[in-house]
Amino acid sequence: MSFINTLAWWQWSLLGLVPIGVVLLYFLKLKRRPLEVPSTYLWSRTLEDLHVNSIWQRLRRNLLLLLQLLMLAMIFLALTRPGWRDNALVGERFIFLLDTSASMQATDEGPSRLEAAKQQIESLIDGMKPGQTGMVLTSSNQSHVEQPYTDNRRLLKNRVRDVQASNRSSDLDEALRYAAGLANPGRSAASAQDVQVAEPMPATIYLFSDGGFATVPSFFLGNLEPKYYPIGQPEPDNVAILAFSAERNVENPLQTQAYGRVENLGAQPADVELSLLFNGRLMDATRVVIEPGATQGVDFELHDIGEGVLELRLDRADDLAVDNVAYACVNMPRRARVLLVTPGNDSLQLCLTTQEAQRVVELRVAEPGFLASEEYQRQAQTGGYDLVIYDRCVPEAQPLANTLFIGRVPKLEGWSAGPLQGPPIIVDTERIHPLMQLVEMGDVRIVEGFAVTFPAGGTALIDADIGALMAIAPRDSFEDVVVGFEIVTVNEGRTEINTNWPIRRAYPVFFMNLVRYLGGGRTTLALPWVPPGKSVSLNTSTPVDRLFVTAPNREVLEILRESTGEFMFTRTELLGPYEVREQRDGAVTQRFAVNLFNRRESQIKPAEKIELEHESIPAEASLEQSRGEGWRWLLLLALLVLCVEWYVYNRRVYV
Amino acid sequence: MARTMARLDTSLLPPDLLAKLERLELVSRKVFRGRLKGERRSRRKGQSVEFMDYRNYVPGDDLRFLDWNLYARLDKLFLTLFLEEEDLHFYALIDSSESMNFGEPTKLFVAKQLAAALGFVGLCRADRVKLQTIAGPHSLNAPVLRGRANLWRMLDYLNKLEPGHNGPLAEGVRQFCLRNTGKGIVVLITDLMDKSGYEAALRMLLARQMDVYVIHVLSPAELDPDLTGDLRLVDCEDQDFTEVTVSRPLLNRYKRTLAAFVDGAREFCTRRGIAYLMTSTAQPVDRLVSQYLRQRGLVR
Repeated sequence: MSFINTLAWWQWSLLGLVPIGVVLLYFLKLKRRPLEVPSTYLWSRTLEDLHVNSIWQRLRRNLLLLLQLLMLAMIFLALTRPGWRDNALVGERFIFLLDTSASMQATDEGPSRLEAAKQQIESLIDGMKPGQTGMVLTSSNQSHVEQPYTDNRRLLKNRVRDVQASNRSSDLDEALRYAAGLANPGRSAASAQDVQVAEPMPATIYLFSDGGFATVPSFFLGNLEPKYYPIGQPEPDNVAILAFSAERNVENPLQTQAYGRVENLGAQPADVELSLLFNGRLMDATRVVIEPGATQGVDFELHDIGEGVLELRLDRADDLAVDNVAYACVNMPRRARVLLVTPGNDSLQLCLTTQEAQRVVELRVAEPGFLASEEYQRQAQTGGYDLVIYDRCVPEAQPLANTLFIGRVPKLEGWSAGPLQGPPIIVDTERIHPLMQLVEMGDVRIVEGFAVTFPAGGTALIDADIGALMAIAPRDSFEDVVVGFEIVTVNEGRTEINTNWPIRRAYPVFFMNLVRYLGGGRTTLALPWVPPGKSVSLNTSTPVDRLFVTAPNREVLEILRESTGEFMFTRTELLGPYEVREQRDGAVTQRFAVNLFNRRESQIKPAEKIELEHESIPAEASLEQSRGEGWRWLLLLALLVLCVEWYVYNRRVYV
Repeated sequence: MARTMARLDTSLLPPDLLAKLERLELVSRKVFRGRLKGERRSRRKGQSVEFMDYRNYVPGDDLRFLDWNLYARLDKLFLTLFLEEEDLHFYALIDSSESMNFGEPTKLFVAKQLAAALGFVGLCRADRVKLQTIAGPHSLNAPVLRGRANLWRMLDYLNKLEPGHNGPLAEGVRQFCLRNTGKGIVVLITDLMDKSGYEAALRMLLARQMDVYVIHVLSPAELDPDLTGDLRLVDCEDQDFTEVTVSRPLLNRYKRTLAAFVDGAREFCTRRGIAYLMTSTAQPVDRLVSQYLRQRGLVR
């Protein structure tokens, strides 16, 4: 036989007084003042009359019986342990994980899904019993501990109320790992035998989300007990703009084309009207009908619009409004500032000075001796160039720019050159890389070259029998490309060609790709748009120390040049266009837009489960169902009835 | 209610009361036969001026009572019968149980006053007066008194009466009936607080064909109790107790019970020709005697 302790120590102490009280009640008699009277004859008859005549007195004996029966009934009922559904929490520690991603701004439930989730969390917090602790975690694409473990329910609820929605995407990985780290501390230890590992703190994690997460890889729950409560209606209605960009016609800079992609993520066909605005002025509109699950593209042609912000607006009220508007910034084209440092390379120079190239390239050619000049140092360290091509030369330090090394490797850790050998036979190229698009190297012959060893994160663009013949690797916010062979070489004072690449079609195509990818395309803006929360690297045409960024809410944020020489802007929480100025009240030098463009966030249908790599967390049907026990109250009531019965019997209460 | 000693310093019959009582006489609703000639009509046929009846003459009758007028008319001899005047027997039975020892003045004192007053009236009219208690030693040695000169003996007897002689009312009356064969007026002065009932006692008195008067004496505290709280009421006679929690409804119910008790006694007495008077010890005795008892025909 086993027993379950259902009471706290102080409750047991109180209960222990009950038998004493019962005994006292039994022996306790009401003190009555003795009084001598001539005769009790009439008093006895009076009491008898009351017994006989009073309805209440007739009931009194029955009342005692009723009270006794009532007490027995309560005891019997208590033995059946009646209970009810309660939002009380089961366990000792709880983690309330609240999804604050963009999809939680959907309004299909409550004022918003986030508010609905907050209300459910607050109801759970209200169900916390003494001794139970909880913490509040929020999660979008990064997690944040809003409130560490505490048993202060008011504090927990205040923290929950203060949680705000974000426009970020969803990523459960960090939040789960943080929560699991507390529940499974041994896993974070270097050795499982480490006796100094903290004791595991099993916890129940209550996740309130719509489940728009990618599968969390390599994650084990361990002592973590997950509970997933989906928020949102099973069939929400949402049409989202998933892409929007604007491209200026290179051949006709006065013409701009805007492209948009709209998807119906609801269950019903959607008849939507799309409006295109430029700097707040309506320029064009179109109407499309999109079937459920279908995508529709829209395009607009604009003439002579200058610089500004294009806004594509979905004129339709649905459950998620943040994906109903998209922005694209139209900046004046700026030619890439390319520095070619070469002792002499006619083919390369020719390639970069064609009419086509001149549209996108502002080329400066210098000899290797220029690298030691003060001008070069200043420009290189202040981002004066977008792309520097080192032909058979190597700078002492990498510039704040993308680089291309031809026949040399940069003086950076991770880069190294193999022995010169040849002729290397090209085996394969990385065709999907923007640099190698439409670059056919099959008919390129190379006299001699070396294998390129590149640092981690790099990619081999050309593979040869000797190894990587061309590679690209990131360096902070820049990228370095190394070509493992010279185009022209100097042998005993004579300039000789080392490869027939310059006479192949792939040669100018490669360098145009290079200029677009590492020159103007990346330096103006790495991507046409920026996801919310992502950092943006900004460059300037002048060596200023600070930039002023105006956010969509018109707040002006000042950013200083980093020690690495670049400007990193991180406060991209708000959706919309951002303006960059080099002077606080100066002209806008560039613009960039922050858009959601996240199909996973726009797909707001609540997920039925959350996938972990080795297990899944199914959705709970409703809030935690625990059992509220009522037997204590019934026993207390029975005790009260006993007291009432004693009172009625002893006091001989008469009406 | 406070328990007090029965003895009082004042006289049972103050002079002003005596003056009023002298003018009264006891009246019997029945005609009884007394032992001595008194100023009473008797059913005995005797010598008086009041004609009662005729009967045939038989040798040996007193010739003085022959009705010659009737002989002249009927030529027969008839003897005239006259009612004989005799004296009245007056009995006062006083309840001296412990319950009579309550009130201010005590019920026993009031009972003694009433008995004294009525006894004095009887003495003034040369009635045969006997006052006694229902129970106790004084019930056996009560003097029979006649004439005003025996007033002091009556008062002396009454002053010696003490409460505390408990016993059933019926038993006391039975003893009285056994010891007193004479008929007459009997006034029972009691609080009727006998748990065995009063009916048997009154029936015994009726069976003796007495002219019964019941004076039901109660104290104001019994009529309108001023009690509060949780009490254990202890009967002073048998120590029986009743636990009550006094409340307004309970007091109202008690009064109704008392009223029903009084009504019950009144009805019992009325049905049987017993004169019933309920009085409080707060009532002056002279008013009781001269007003209430006069209305009931005990005195005139």
